Amino acid sequence: MFSKAATTVRGILILVGVAVLATPLGARERCVDSLGPTLKLSEAEGGGLLLKTGQPGLYVRAPELEADVDITVRGVVARTRVSQRFSNPSDEWVEAVYVFPLPEGCAVDTLRMKIGERIIEGQIKERGEARRIFVKAKKAGKRTALLEQERPNMFTTSVANIGPRDAVQVTIEYQQLLVPEDGRFELRFPTVVGPRYLPGVETERSLEGAGWGAPTTAVPDGDRITPPVVPPGGPVVNPLSLTVELDAGAPLGELISAYHAVQISRGEGSSYVISLDAGTVPADRDFVLRWVPRTGEKPTVAAFSEELNGQTYVVLMAMPPQAGGQAARLPREAVFVIDTSGSMHGTSIGQARNALLFALDRLQPADTFNIVAFNSRSWTLFPEVRPASSSNVEEARRWVRGLRAQGGTEMMGALRLALGDQDDVEDRVRQVVFLTDGCVGNEQQLFSFIRENLGASRLFTVGIGSAPNSHFMERAARFGRGTFTYIGSTNEVEEKMRALFTRLESPVLTGLQVDWGGQEAEMWPARIPDLYLGQPLVLTARLGSPPASVGIRGRAGGEAWHLELPVAAPEKGTGLHRLWARRKIASLMDGLAAGVPREEVRNRVVEVALAHHLVSRFTSLVAVDVTPVRPEGAGLHRGAVPTNLPHGWDYKHVFGKVPQTATPGGLLLLVGLMLLLLAVAVLRFGPGAA
Amino acid sequence: MGRRTAVVMALLLGAAGGASFGHGVWIYAKGRLAQVLLLRAWASALGGAERPAPWPWADTWPVARLRAPRLGVDEIVLAGASGRTMAFGPGHLDGSAPVGAEGNCVLTGHRDTHFAFLERLRPGDALVVEIPSGKAVCYTVTRTMVLDENDVEVMGESPGRLLTLLTCYPFHALVPGGPGRYAVVAVAPPSRGER
Repeated sequence: MFSKAATTVRGILILVGVAVLATPLGARERCVDSLGPTLKLSEAEGGGLLLKTGQPGLYVRAPELEADVDITVRGVVARTRVSQRFSNPSDEWVEAVYVFPLPEGCAVDTLRMKIGERIIEGQIKERGEARRIFVKAKKAGKRTALLEQERPNMFTTSVANIGPRDAVQVTIEYQQLLVPEDGRFELRFPTVVGPRYLPGVETERSLEGAGWGAPTTAVPDGDRITPPVVPPGGPVVNPLSLTVELDAGAPLGELISAYHAVQISRGEGSSYVISLDAGTVPADRDFVLRWVPRTGEKPTVAAFSEELNGQTYVVLMAMPPQAGGQAARLPREAVFVIDTSGSMHGTSIGQARNALLFALDRLQPADTFNIVAFNSRSWTLFPEVRPASSSNVEEARRWVRGLRAQGGTEMMGALRLALGDQDDVEDRVRQVVFLTDGCVGNEQQLFSFIRENLGASRLFTVGIGSAPNSHFMERAARFGRGTFTYIGSTNEVEEKMRALFTRLESPVLTGLQVDWGGQEAEMWPARIPDLYLGQPLVLTARLGSPPASVGIRGRAGGEAWHLELPVAAPEKGTGLHRLWARRKIASLMDGLAAGVPREEVRNRVVEVALAHHLVSRFTSLVAVDVTPVRPEGAGLHRGAVPTNLPHGWDYKHVFGKVPQTATPGGLLLLVGLMLLLLAVAVLRFGPGAA
Repeated sequence: MGRRTAVVMALLLGAAGGASFGHGVWIYAKGRLAQVLLLRAWASALGGAERPAPWPWADTWPVARLRAPRLGVDEIVLAGASGRTMAFGPGHLDGSAPVGAEGNCVLTGHRDTHFAFLERLRPGDALVVEIPSGKAVCYTVTRTMVLDENDVEVMGESPGRLLTLLTCYPFHALVPGGPGRYAVVAVAPPSRGER
């Protein structure tokens, strides 16, 4: 009897639960504002930018930003200082929130807040603790600055209690390693975060987010990584000035600024000073500087070491000898994936199309190929791979020319088509070439998928456009055991694609192992990735004392290969321990994609990051002034710093969507009626009914 | 014992059903009620009031009165095409041409309330739009089309005087949020002597 009653009760509970879940009470009338939901142009005051506040209908003038960048290059190490000056044009007290990019792989170690002539040094803290310190100081009315990492190439500066018509300056510093490819160095300084596509289903907004996006099931921090974008007709914002002092240790054979007009002058010794011709430029595209040491002066080995707390940190870069020469070219199965989402509209899709047409020309009749295109959905040229016969290639060319860019960036579907269901391809090499700007928010999810489904394929990313997501490009290629390339303008297409194809067709150095002269060494990454033609070997390790020599062995095109590098007198370096720690953090973070529990990754990252004073996903820098400045009773408005749309992008194709225009009214009525009928039925026919 | 649990269950189901039904009724009632308040605000707009708020806490205001004489439709159009605005009436898309002016003026509305009549519009139908100056502009429907939510060209700039009405498609789908859209494009003769 009792058990029967319990069963009935449980049945009822389940039924009610299902009924409540099925009721779309939570369903809102969805609103997709088509012109940037948080930002609008002021109709008065000469077209300034207004930000929505927490109070409906209340807008304040958006905080403004000027940045000054100072980069010093010594050999293969670059040190950069970014000064951000936040000014508040409104009559309110403001907290400015600025989301901005830095190079992938940079080790951020310094935050300074400058107030008048006083300088306050930022302290490294666990992320949650740093935020608590910041919020406490903010509420107390003190000036305070917080630097948080959103992605390895995307950071947020928050500066609280900037007075009416006042300004606060914040300085950030980082160190990075420059890795030459094909003997050429490239320094990339990104200046704007391209609007990211956020796949998944929208969830509740957090209190911390200040972006135009909402968190989704696939991108839980969607509201943090989407800084508002100035709508068309609005002002150009965020002026940037930049200077590079470059000492490569040798005279240069070539020095080019790829996308900005610059002035170059000789400094002391073998150094050069590069500055922007225009003085300041809008932060709307990557700054890229390329140089080649003069022929004959290329060192084949560069070794640097630093002693710290009784340990030696070593950075070693070596050019492996050309392996194997011209090995027999294996037939290839090539799958090209092209991003045709709205962010590619404009100049980007033209570059991607041209790159793809070039790639089609390089196919040999013995190769097979297919093309995947994607935006909100994915589709293929052929149902399955086909031989690269002239008629098939011609059909592909026509198809590629007809591709238009609009819609979302559902990359997962495209990766599924490119990597899922791979046929056994023992007699050929399977290569996936992925052309995209990488402007998505679900990088981690994609990395996991690539790692789990790569099989025998190799994934090569080609970053397209003026502000590609370098984190996606470089890590996706890493997980895909391939390489990354950037194409930032139409006239680079041929050169870059030719270099990529030379790589695809050359033998690869695999199974690389290092012997640190018999010493125990903690090396990161612990496993050395395969090396393609023109890529140097880059090692960072911590050991007891500087090694006299380093032995490297591996395989190239089936042949065993061995190299002994003398490292007798490594050059003294500074901050090498941070480069080592930064690589260790990156390797630990890769563990997330491999399924290592988040808590474990977090603990290990926090330990390294705190020890080396580095910003990471789990550690932030925070600076607090001593005396409160905001009068009691004065409110504080939180405002995101608006950003430019990347150069060559089209606003309408990124944010434009024909608005959503249906209410859930009909559905609610129907579900309501059904539930009411069910209630009547239970009374009429349920247990105990007469 | 059994009877009691059945009653409790019926009450719970009834409460959930009533809440859902009530919410549905409220969505439709809100759309109708608002139009009554909006007519008053429209009258003050015609009287020269700048951005008259239809109710004290509104963040939108009437910008035009839209009529489809053959279908007996008469609605007040609001500024902005956000979901919040469209709960009360059709919205004028920020950034598109002003109502009645040269260019492409885009209005959006819910397919199951204010813009349900789009389904019955045919090429050749007249659409009359009154603007706060009191002037009426007569548009003629030239075509109707089914689109995807990403076909943003339909909202793009265009020569001539265009009126584009947008709503979701299919009209009678039960669940909102699909990617289908429906557009009605109407054209007015070039404006004369008013610049």
